[in-house]
This record gives sequence, structure tokens and C-alpha cells, in this order.
Amino acid sequence: MMTRGCAVLGVAVLTAACASTRAAREPQPQPEPSTARQAHDLVALLPDPGTGAVGRAVVSNRHGQVELTQARESTRVGGDAAPTAPVLLTEDEAARLFGEVLDALPPAPRHFTLYFKFESEELTDESRRLVEDVVQEVKHRPVPDVIAIGHTDTTGAARSNIQLGLRRANAVRTILVGAGLTASAVAVASHGEAELLVHTADGVYEPKNRRVEITVR
Amino acid sequence: MRNYLSLAAGVMVLGLAIPAAAETATPAGRIKTVSGDAFIVHAGQTIPATIGHEVFESDRVRTGHDGRIGLTLQDDTRVAIGPRSEVAVDSFSYAPAEGSLGLALKFVQGVAVYVSGKIAKLAPDAVRLETPAAIVGVRGTTVALNVGAD
Repeated sequence: MMTRGCAVLGVAVLTAACASTRAAREPQPQPEPSTARQAHDLVALLPDPGTGAVGRAVVSNRHGQVELTQARESTRVGGDAAPTAPVLLTEDEAARLFGEVLDALPPAPRHFTLYFKFESEELTDESRRLVEDVVQEVKHRPVPDVIAIGHTDTTGAARSNIQLGLRRANAVRTILVGAGLTASAVAVASHGEAELLVHTADGVYEPKNRRVEITVR
Repeated sequence: MRNYLSLAAGVMVLGLAIPAAAETATPAGRIKTVSGDAFIVHAGQTIPATIGHEVFESDRVRTGHDGRIGLTLQDDTRVAIGPRSEVAVDSFSYAPAEGSLGLALKFVQGVAVYVSGKIAKLAPDAVRLETPAAIVGVRGTTVALNVGAD
């Protein structure tokens, strides 16, 4: 009895899956001209404006779903049918539809990692040379948000490492303020030894974990 | 007893994490670009959107016939809307240390672009983009929407 129940359920799921696949692959009939004009939404997958990377998107409604996997693939979807099979927009079409709104996108956030000397809030010499890059990145933005999060390695007590991480983040803030940023634009926090970049046992000396991670957005 | 101890340890860790993570009513993000007629709807009030203005969970941004707005959220998600457009930040939660990640954007009308951030990277299923007709699940980077295209 139980087996039979499962089989029935299995068929139902399979049928639903087939229906959704078919709906996704076949072009949908156009809405009847006589009925009230049905609003449709257009969803398109675009290359990342900075890196060109193309992700994936699944567009669904209660009638089915369709997956977009290539740059400029698009689907139209209304309320009364599954999303249409993917249609490739030309570059011109994509630019005409979305060029203006792409121009309104804020600049991509950037991330920097500065490293510190052992048990110290003093930057390594190499990281000191990176500070100017951070400053320039911040100054290029009209309303920058800067977040500096301090981290430590696992030598020392967890609690004192929270303090050390905070001293490191504050040291970065002091450097950035010295370079002309306002202190209130730089948020600081510490994760101590809780988020290791290189996973180690407790009490391990690891230069890559002694860092401040900076986000500029 | 053992359970009790690990619970106590968990509470201690949480106690340490909260001050670093957030004060109450942390904004979801900020307006980074704006032009033309542009508004924020916050707590039932419509106010002009200005560059640098904070955007909170449950807020909406809306544009007039020549408006455009670009937002960056705390997890690096970016959203831009074109003229005669509206998007609602229905929910936003970004506290990776506490395992709390979620983003729901409702594209109400007009033209918009979404560029994924850390929430989509850490928990793709926690991101939900909604239009009047569809739900869009995202596995990375950039999706453009034209709501009510025809």
C-alpha cells in the first residue's frame, strides 16, 4: 500500500516535471488579442559589468520554470503561462533595454587585506605600500563606505585577540584619517581569532591570519 | 550538563559577536547614485532620494519619468533602477557570523539591474527576486528586469 502510494506520488511528480520542461522549451502562444492586454515581465541574464562573468538565473511562476545560463539570454513571463523558452537578446537590444540602468549601477565594492606584525598593530612593510591604493579607491567614490575588520592568529587568548583585532582595525582607521578621510566614514570591528584566513589549531603563529580586511563600497 | 555548558559557550560567543555585528536598525544599504526625480518610501513617507541616503529593510525606492537610482547593500549587492521604476527591499539580513542571511527584492515596475553580493555567494537560496509575474532565483552575478515590458 505504501509502495503504491509512493508510485502514484512519483508519477505525479514526474508528470509535473515533464510539463514544466515542455512548457519551458516550447514557445508559448501569444496572448489572445481579444483579452485585456496582459502585462509581461522580461528577465535577462547579463554578464557582470566589471568582470564579464556570467552566472545563472532560474525564472519561475506557478506554471513552470526556465533557466537562463548564457549572457543576454532572456525570458518573458506573464501570469497565465510558464516563462517562455530562452531568447538571446542581441547586444543592441540589451543596450537599448538596459544600457541606461546599467550606467546607474554604483561602482563595484573593492576588498583589501592588510597584514600586521606579530602581536602588533604595526603594518608589515609590504602592506604599508598598499595603503595608498585603499586611499585612492576611497577618494574616487562620491559617498564611500569603508569597513575595517581586524583579525588575529590563534596565539594568545581569544578575548585578548578581540582587543588586538580592534586595535589593528583602529590603526587602519587612523592611517586612513591621516590620509584625509573623515573618521566617521570608516567603521571598525574585530573578529579576533574567530575567522581565520588560514585554518590552524589554537596557539599557532600564522602571519596570514594577522590582518585587517577592508571593504570599500 | 555537557549540553548546558556548550549552550553557555554559545551564548558567550553570541554576546561577543553582537556588538561587533550590528546596532539595532542597521541600514540595509545606501544610495550611491541618483539623478532626476527619485524617492525613498520609508515608514509610509515618501521623501526625495539623495546621494548617501540610507535604505532600510521594508523601504522602497521609486523614480519619476527621468529618474535613476543606484544602491549598494551591506553585503555588496548592487541594484539600479531606471525611469518610472520601483523596487522594494522586502527583507535584508546580513550577519554571517550568526548564520543569518537573507535578501528579498520586489521589482514592482520599470527597469532594474541586480548584481549579486555576498548573500548570494554564501547562501544562494536565501536570495529571492520577485516581479509581479515571476520569481527569479540567482546563482551569481547580473540579472536585468523589465517589469511590464509589454
